[in-house]
Amino acid sequence: MKFHWFAEATYPHLPADYHERKLSSWVDTPWDLADPVKVGQMYHMFIRLMQQADRDGFDGLAVNEHHQTPFAMTPSPNLLAASLASTTQNAAILIIGDSLALYNPPTRVAEEMAYLDCVSGGRVIAGFVFGTPMDSVFAYGNSPPELRERFHEARGLITRAWTEPKPFSFNGKYNQLRYVNIWPRPIQPKLPIWVPGSGSLETWDLVIDQNYCYGHLSFSGLHSAKPMVDAYWEYVDQRGGDMNPHRMAFTQLVCCAATDAEAEAKYYDAVRYFYRNNSIGPGFLAAPGYTTIRSQQAMAQHIQNNAANLKPEDRARAAAGEMSFWEYDEKGYIIAGTPERVRQRVRELATDLRIGQLIGCLHMGDLAEETAAENTYLFGTEVIPHLRDLWADQPDHWTPKVSQDRVAARSQATKEAAQ
Amino acid sequence: MKTSRKTTGEFDVRVWSGGAGSPVLYLHGFEQHPGDAPFLRKLAQTHEVMAPEHPGYGSSTGFERLHDLQDLILYYRTLVDSWGKGPVDVIGHSLGGMFAAELAVMAPHLVRKLVLVSPYGLWIDDQPLADPFVLLPPQFAAAKWHDPSKAANETSAFDAAEGESAANYRTVNLTTAAKFMWPIPDKGLSRRLSYLTAPTLVIHGESDGLVPASYDQAWARALPQATTVRIPGAGHMPMVEAEGAFTSLVNDFLG
Repeated sequence: MKFHWFAEATYPHLPADYHERKLSSWVDTPWDLADPVKVGQMYHMFIRLMQQADRDGFDGLAVNEHHQTPFAMTPSPNLLAASLASTTQNAAILIIGDSLALYNPPTRVAEEMAYLDCVSGGRVIAGFVFGTPMDSVFAYGNSPPELRERFHEARGLITRAWTEPKPFSFNGKYNQLRYVNIWPRPIQPKLPIWVPGSGSLETWDLVIDQNYCYGHLSFSGLHSAKPMVDAYWEYVDQRGGDMNPHRMAFTQLVCCAATDAEAEAKYYDAVRYFYRNNSIGPGFLAAPGYTTIRSQQAMAQHIQNNAANLKPEDRARAAAGEMSFWEYDEKGYIIAGTPERVRQRVRELATDLRIGQLIGCLHMGDLAEETAAENTYLFGTEVIPHLRDLWADQPDHWTPKVSQDRVAARSQATKEAAQ
Repeated sequence: MKTSRKTTGEFDVRVWSGGAGSPVLYLHGFEQHPGDAPFLRKLAQTHEVMAPEHPGYGSSTGFERLHDLQDLILYYRTLVDSWGKGPVDVIGHSLGGMFAAELAVMAPHLVRKLVLVSPYGLWIDDQPLADPFVLLPPQFAAAKWHDPSKAANETSAFDAAEGESAANYRTVNLTTAAKFMWPIPDKGLSRRLSYLTAPTLVIHGESDGLVPASYDQAWARALPQATTVRIPGAGHMPMVEAEGAFTSLVNDFLG
């Protein structure tokens, strides 16, 4: 089982009445709520925390792409990845991922990921994403019925650009390039590729056909995800796909502390900040043609199937920041408490959902840096080592060999130093 | 009006047709085909009306064949050609107005007179259009109608017997609309309007919150031969909210 450090780069200084003002937290959020100097300080904090995660035993450092939102101020994951590739040694650089339709031409993705793989010594995981409706069709203006086609065309171009030994011409529907011959190229002969999704059947077919790692990057936890993830594995099985848990990633908010009471005291405000300040304007949640009708129907079925475990009113209360700390925990939104408790709950989660790649959100909302640092340390040193037995009998082809070896070597060295 | 299916190349399209008189092609707006609408029946009293449902709308096929606007206009050129009536009058509403103007640009020999009703296709920077894909239902209704209580008078090509839900029908329609209207419903028509020579009538609903009547000034500047008319008491659907005024304007113009 692998563990990756992640945080949404959420702007932490929104006004206290932000939620009550009913602004959309995506697309048209007024910029005058933010201070670019503080944004810079925030970026430095995330870089420090991820450098620490690299030392504390995490398998990967996850960076993502969102646009026009204080919820996740990472317009290019490759920029943050560049800061990490040159200042960390062990963990994979998990780019999860570049929104392929938004790079023009998409060979820029091929080049930048190749650059990052070179700088990091072969530690890049290439994540390809469609982008949320807010990102890809509203902020970046892609016509929703064209988005998937653009994604697939770009994916074909990028993967070919990494491997085709000679210059080639690419005459696509959306991209015409007379000479494709990227410099640099990745160190890894075959970059691990991850594609996250929220239940679209077309994405399931893609990851099964290509044997990519699928990711369900929700922040709503076990109960919310279970019907969809179960349906996913059933679908993989039916289609004769690879059932290896290492090709399934899942995000989970984690709040670790010396005692359960301390966890509540240190994290509750930040958890509420994280959920209640991410209020997407309802007009921006969906766009016609972004999801096929076939997938819409399947996704509606999953929501219906989990109504017993997570009622619609629970979802609304969670989003409004109206749950108690331990109710967030009970409903699966967070996993909180002592390392012993967190260990056990992560084990249950990973086993129940058949997950081999956990993307832990170790910082959320406006959490203090020192708390996030403690969270990172406790999770890295007192949770991860106790869960290494999970899925240990199955090979992991979806993280880089270099990071696997270096993380294992560092863990061994730490163990020996402690003895 | 009777419905039928018309196969043209790889497009299989639902068509409402009827009436007798000079031929009129009606191209519907971005939301849906109006089906057997009272205003179409009224036009059919003095014209032979053909009202196809755009490829990609309802049960009309061929959406995957449309890479861009040109593919659709070539489809309509073929459709009018195969109708065999020579030049026809073309009425285009909303997004259909954009298509009608493009058709008149690309195939001037097939378009006798042109009527553009609440047409999309132009964009004025300091008068940005509302985003119909983002407005929530109450705001959308307020923008679309002069009097939202008239919404019940709007007819639809939705046919529950075809097995689709109303929600899916709308999603299918708006997906096709998004192809041509996203993110800004200006696909270069203004550059091409100098090639449009057909006599043109431009109709706006005075209270249209989706395509404001003030856009008629841009049409008038681009098309010196055009007549512009604003219908009071109507929004984006003047043929529904002011059916009488609408049909007499159109009939007077077409002759």
